[in-house]
Amino acid sequence: MSRSLAIAGRELRAYFLSPTGYVVAALFLLLLGIVFIVRAFDQGQPASLRPVFDIGAWVLLFICPAISMRAISEERRLGTFEALMTCPVSETEVILGKFGAGVGLLCLILAPTGLYVLALELYGRPDYGELASGYLGMLLAGSAYLATGLLASTLTNSQVVAFLVTMFFWLIVSVSTKVLPPLLTETWARPIFAVDPDLRLKDFAMGLIDTSNVVYFVSIIVIFLIGAVKSLEARR
Amino acid sequence: MIVARRLSKRFGRFHAVDSVDFEIPRGQVVGFLGPNGAGKTTTIRLIVGYLRPTQGVVRVDGLDVATDGRRVRQRIGYLPESAPLYGEMRVSEYLKFRARLFGLERARRGPAIELALRRCRLSDVASRPIDQLSRGYRQRVGLAAALLHEPEVLILDEPMVGLDPSQILEVRKLIRELAGRHTILLSTHILPEAQQTCDRIIMMARGRIRAAGTIDELRSLASRGNRYTVETDAPKAGAVLTELRGVARVEALGSDGRWARLVVTSLDDALDLREPIFRALAERGGAVRELHSEAPSLEHLFLEMLAEAEADYARREGGRDGAAA
Repeated sequence: MSRSLAIAGRELRAYFLSPTGYVVAALFLLLLGIVFIVRAFDQGQPASLRPVFDIGAWVLLFICPAISMRAISEERRLGTFEALMTCPVSETEVILGKFGAGVGLLCLILAPTGLYVLALELYGRPDYGELASGYLGMLLAGSAYLATGLLASTLTNSQVVAFLVTMFFWLIVSVSTKVLPPLLTETWARPIFAVDPDLRLKDFAMGLIDTSNVVYFVSIIVIFLIGAVKSLEARR
Repeated sequence: MIVARRLSKRFGRFHAVDSVDFEIPRGQVVGFLGPNGAGKTTTIRLIVGYLRPTQGVVRVDGLDVATDGRRVRQRIGYLPESAPLYGEMRVSEYLKFRARLFGLERARRGPAIELALRRCRLSDVASRPIDQLSRGYRQRVGLAAALLHEPEVLILDEPMVGLDPSQILEVRKLIRELAGRHTILLSTHILPEAQQTCDRIIMMARGRIRAAGTIDELRSLASRGNRYTVETDAPKAGAVLTELRGVARVEALGSDGRWARLVVTSLDDALDLREPIFRALAERGGAVRELHSEAPSLEHLFLEMLAEAEADYARREGGRDGAAA
């Protein structure tokens, strides 16, 4: 565990010693800031961040793969991976450390949006339950994308490939779960609906914490992290 | 300290390491010597558990690397080829990170880092980002990182590559200093390097061990005798010298009409043939204007070994192709 923390700490600092962390954070906040000003922070609008969460979930689809793509690929390319894996650390500790760093960065990127909440509080009466639920949804979805990206990063030395595979995986899941069901019978359409992450994120943004939604994202995280560990083990 | 038995690693059809056996005793400096692609790095990666063998076992301090990998890695300090480091970190930060990965308790980290910095003469660059350091410094940072947890075994893959001559001298000195405290295994493709740094040499080529022993043992393998170069005007010098006791063979290198140049190889190197050679030639009324002896050279053995390895490899590959067809 302390080894995972050491790895996570190093990784998180590396994000901010290179432009990656700043660029990702700046672009994300710029986009959400625009959405907030235009769609949420206006007279007559409810004191809610729902439009921000709706767009934010989509933006995470591009941001998270960019965060996770370097995790293993970059270390492989630089050769530091060999130095790391010949320390007395297990594959699980490495993956948990890298995943922890990604989630940590995600939290740091989301943190400044707290200013929006402050603005809502100053000019209205926001529903904090709904806000917390929205943030939980963002965090869960982001973590699921990060876990996917981590697996992709163990499979290739190329960051670009890791990025594209992760992003397209979720784009395909997201789009196909919307286009396919109308073409299918009810029995087939229903399980496909269940895989759609966007419907579940909408629930979170509305303030609805449905256990099945939490289970959905947590299972995805666990499955992809196990996949990443197995992929590292297979490499030896 | 390190024992390998029938150790093999295949990548697809390629036999990177082919049924290798060796033992590395505690406290020695042992060198893997061989050309690029000999299987040195792969063998090292099998020892440190970075790769899993296709066949065979490696034990470090009695622990099987396959089942006790973590405990083995705790006992090893490993510097991979070309010293990969996180460039954005400062030297002391990197060492602290490594200290945590090796499970050093908080109280021990500071002193351990101090000691490693001092031993590798890095104290003056401790707060510099690794990216800004020269090749020689980076190599020493890698070495400091490998030393940090006072491992029983130190494994260095090509520690001298890319260094300038003065840096090589420094790293070599450092390795000799460390020799007392650690068992050291290093790999190199440069023979003089191995000769100057190692107690024992394991020569590898094409995935197999071709010769192993101390420098002296290898030398006696290289040739069973010394070589004497003679320049004389004695008549029929070749025949005369061949008759001499203790002579294995005589080669004529050429003659300019009066002076003939010959190389005499002795049967073993215990006997000094210089005097008998001189007396035999003088008895025939010849003058000797040059006579000197050479110890058998390791270069000779090294080159012979490479040629043999190539021939053997061609044979084996031929056999495999034949079997496949």
